[in-house]
Amino acid sequence: MKDYLKLNDISLSYHTKEGETLALENLSFSANKNEYLSIVGPSGCGKTTILSLISGLLKPSKGEVLLDGEAIGKNVDIGYMFQRDQLFEWRTIYKNVTLGLELKKKAKDEECLKRVEYLLKQYGLYEFKNSYPSELSGGMRQRAALIRTLCLEPKILLLDEPFSALDYQTKLNVCDDVHSIITEEKQTVIAVTHDISEAISMSDRVLVLTKRPAKVKCIIDINLPKNLTPLEKRENKDFSKYFDLIWKELSNEKENNNSIHK
Amino acid sequence: MKKKTIIAYTNEHKRYLKKIKVDKATTIIAQVLILVVVLGLWEILTMTNAIDPFFLSSPSRMIKTLIETFKTGNLIYHIGVTVYETLIGFLLATFLGVFIAILLWWSEKLRKILDPYIVVLNALPKIALGPVIIIWVGAGTSAIITMCILICIVITTLSMLSAFLNCDKDKIALMKSMGANKFQILFKLIIPNAFVDFVSVLKINVGMSWVGTIMGEYLVSKAGLGYLIVYGGQVFNLDLVMSSTLVLCLIACVMYMLVGILERKVRKR
Repeated sequence: MKDYLKLNDISLSYHTKEGETLALENLSFSANKNEYLSIVGPSGCGKTTILSLISGLLKPSKGEVLLDGEAIGKNVDIGYMFQRDQLFEWRTIYKNVTLGLELKKKAKDEECLKRVEYLLKQYGLYEFKNSYPSELSGGMRQRAALIRTLCLEPKILLLDEPFSALDYQTKLNVCDDVHSIITEEKQTVIAVTHDISEAISMSDRVLVLTKRPAKVKCIIDINLPKNLTPLEKRENKDFSKYFDLIWKELSNEKENNNSIHK
Repeated sequence: MKKKTIIAYTNEHKRYLKKIKVDKATTIIAQVLILVVVLGLWEILTMTNAIDPFFLSSPSRMIKTLIETFKTGNLIYHIGVTVYETLIGFLLATFLGVFIAILLWWSEKLRKILDPYIVVLNALPKIALGPVIIIWVGAGTSAIITMCILICIVITTLSMLSAFLNCDKDKIALMKSMGANKFQILFKLIIPNAFVDFVSVLKINVGMSWVGTIMGEYLVSKAGLGYLIVYGGQVFNLDLVMSSTLVLCLIACVMYMLVGILERKVRKR
C-alpha cells in the first residue's frame, strides 16, 4: 500500500528563551506499508523530532501527519524503540513485555496473552520470561524490547537508533534478529540512524535529510536482493555503491554547512 | 545446574586467595583491638584514679548502672519510650516526605512556586523551632515526635523529588508512546524506579530520626534515653549519662542494620 504514512508540509519550531529555532521546514515524505524506511542526516538536524511527530508526542507548528489515512491523534497505535532497550529492571521479562497491555488494561485479554506467548516462544525468550533484564545479554534485551512493542500490534514501528548502544559484533547479530522479526511480523518501520551501513543493510529505502531546518534531500531506493539478511547484504557487491552515494549526499550537506559558517 | 569440578588452583591464585583472607583477618583483629584497648585503658585509668571516674565514668560502673536500672524495669521503660517516639517520627516523616515529593513531582508549577520556601526550610536549623513547637503542640510526646518529623521530612522530600525527576526521559517517552496517563507513569515507572533511592533515604532517616527524637527529649520530656542523659548530666551522674549513651548507640545500630537487611533484599532483585 502506497502512502501508508504521510507527512504533509511539516514545519516545527523549538522555543527557548534565546529565541525560536526552526527544526523542520516544509518537510514532506511518505512511507509505504510493510516497508523499512531509514532516515539519515547530519547530526542535530532533527531526526528524532520526526519520530516524535509521528508518535504524536510532539505537535507540528504547521502541516499534518497521516497514518493509514487518519490524522495522528493522542492514542495512536505506534511502537517506539529507543537507543537503549529501556526495559524496567524491577520487572521480569514477561512483566516488561506485557507492560503496554497493562497500560491499555488488556493484561487479562486471552487473545493478547496468546500473542505474547507466541512472540516469546517464536523469538526464543519464553524460557527467560521469569528472568530479570539484568540476567539477559544485550541482544536478548533488545529482542524483549521489540516484543514489548509488537504485542500491542502497532500500526507502525519507530526505531530511534535502536542499535547504537550495542557493541559492533552484537549489533550485527541484533540487526539480523530484528530484521527477520520485523519481516515476519510484516511491520512498517521508520528508523532513524547515523550509521549508513546499518541503514543500507536494513532498509528498503533511505531518506537523506538536509542540515537544519531539515528538508528531504533525496530518497534512495536500496535494490539489494530481498531474501538476503542484513549481514549478507553488507557483503553484496552493490553495497559499497550505495554507501558511497549516501556518504556523498551527507558530506555535501556538511560542506554546505561549513561554507555558511565561514 | 553446573557440575562441580575440582579445580586445581595455580600457586599464584592460591597466593591471591591467601592475601584476601589475611587482609580480612587483620582488619577484624584491628577493629577488635581498638575496642579492647580503649575500654581497657579507660577501666585501668579510672580504677587507679589516674582519671576521676566522677567525670568519665568507667566501663565497669556503666555495666553496674545498666544492671541496676534494668532490674528496676526503668531501663526498658525509657528505651521503650524513645524507640516508640523515634519509630513514629521516622514512619510519619518518611510517609509525609514521600507524599510531598510526589505532589511536587506531579505539578511543575507547584515545584517552582515552593522552591524558595523549601530552600529556606532546608537551611534552617530545625532545633531553633523547639520553643515554637512546645507552644504549638504542647510539652510532651507530640512535641518530640514533631521535632523528629521536622528534622527528617525536608531531606526526605528533597531526596525523593530528585530521584523522581532523575528518571530517564526515554523511559517516560516510552510510557507515553504506549498511551500511559500520568497516574500510570507515576505508579508503574517513577515510584518503582526510585525504590533504590528510597532505601537510601530510609538509611539517612534512621540516623536523622534519632537526632530528632533525642533533640526533642532534651527540650521537653519526662522519660526516654534523651531524658536520662540530660537528667544524668544535671545531677552529675556520669554513669547514667554514659550508659544511656551506650544503649542509644546499640539500638540505633540495630535499627540501621534492619534497614541494611531490607536494602540487601531489595538490591538482590
